[in-house]
Amino acid sequence: MFAKEWRSELRTRYALNTLALFAVNTLVVVSASLGPLGAAPGRSSETLPVLLWLILLFAAAAGLPRAFVHEEETQTATALRLAATPSALFCGKLAYALTLLAALEALVAPLFLAVMNLDVARPGLLAATLAAGGFGLAAGSTLVAAIIAQARGKGTLFAVLSFPVLLPLLLLAVELTRGAFAGGGSQGQGGQGGAGVVLMQLLLYDGAVTTAGLMLFPVVWNP
Amino acid sequence: MKKRTAFAAFRWLLWLWLAAVIVGAFAYAPLAAKFIGQSSRILFFHVPMAWAAFIAFIAAGVSSLRYLFGNRPRRDPRHDRAARAAIELGLLFGLLATVTGAVWSRIMWGAWWNWDPRQTSIVMALIFNGAYLALRDAVEDAEKRARLAAAYAALGLVVTPFFFFVVPRITFSLHPEPVINASGQVDMNPRMLQVLLASGAGFTALFFWLHDLRTRVLAVADQALEAAAAGAPRAGIVGAWGSAPPHITEPGTAADPATASQRTSN
Repeated sequence: MFAKEWRSELRTRYALNTLALFAVNTLVVVSASLGPLGAAPGRSSETLPVLLWLILLFAAAAGLPRAFVHEEETQTATALRLAATPSALFCGKLAYALTLLAALEALVAPLFLAVMNLDVARPGLLAATLAAGGFGLAAGSTLVAAIIAQARGKGTLFAVLSFPVLLPLLLLAVELTRGAFAGGGSQGQGGQGGAGVVLMQLLLYDGAVTTAGLMLFPVVWNP
Repeated sequence: MKKRTAFAAFRWLLWLWLAAVIVGAFAYAPLAAKFIGQSSRILFFHVPMAWAAFIAFIAAGVSSLRYLFGNRPRRDPRHDRAARAAIELGLLFGLLATVTGAVWSRIMWGAWWNWDPRQTSIVMALIFNGAYLALRDAVEDAEKRARLAAAYAALGLVVTPFFFFVVPRITFSLHPEPVINASGQVDMNPRMLQVLLASGAGFTALFFWLHDLRTRVLAVADQALEAAAAGAPRAGIVGAWGSAPPHITEPGTAADPATASQRTSN
């Protein structure tokens, strides 16, 4: 399933190009409009993580819904229903979204750091956050994409539906990225044991959403 | 007939109860210390509204799960209607809680809004409910609509705990927490607590009453749609009662195969 996704993706390179271009465009807009302020010390480590995750979220929203929308549009969905079990299909789509997002993060994160002149105090934490956040983003969007593919007004609907689901993920990821940029513990109330606890919560979110996806996907997919 | 009498009695009891809560909130309960003016009295309505919104959210999730996984192999549209009614009421109570909260926040904190964790979670709940209804509007086929919406509501049920337990811990909160606090102790004047609990019970009952009404209205609407599709205009009224009241069922209608099949399907 995973191999099939990439094969058809590489044939068109639609999602990959769109995602990359969209992310870079957003990054340029953000960076250019912030100008030298982006590099200003002090507040930057507070606000920049938000921008980084917004870029990732919107790029994901631009590219990921296609995973299922494309199947419905080209009417290959029925063939897929026959060929693969729902859980295999979900895992395949999830792995596809995951690798796509990983590629995106590998492109955006270094560029972001370079353009914003940021020093990362804890690179390991940043990498872990990107990995865990990317996973949650992929899992949440894959299920929502499966839902909206069967509805009208797909693009806007995806943004509307995924936002409340992904909001906790974003809040946690932003908090962690802040910690990674600034160094030291998380800046939340009383620290709460620092970044490790927040990272655990992020992983918990990933696990919960993936499990929900595995359980709910069969009923979404099969009439 | 007995059931309807019981309903009427329940309704009157509910009105009296809520009226007593209003009187109690203004005349019986004392003002809380350290609150500006009379502002603490909003508590007796604001907290139960938020509570009702929370119940609505859980009810929608549970109904959705029952729709998806109960009654196999044939899904029961009753649970879908219950979920939708709960989401709508959740939107209503959530909006009321948000507005009363904002009014109070303006008085006490000097700003209508400050992204307190509880404000974050109620906004997420409101957006979620709105998204659920938007999703329903975007699907034509009734069975598919119910299935997709139920899956989405179930996903919401999975995400909710993060708003209630995780996000409040990583951001600073100004929210007063005499009832829902970490130490598990109730730190409140007993009279205030009595009124608050009475109000909470009243709002819970109000929610279930409204939910029942709304579910029945949706059932009538569904029946009417099906009847219109089947070309039997009478069937809508019959289905709403679960079993047909004798004075509505006419000899001709009951014999009609379309009507009969709808009644059994409900």
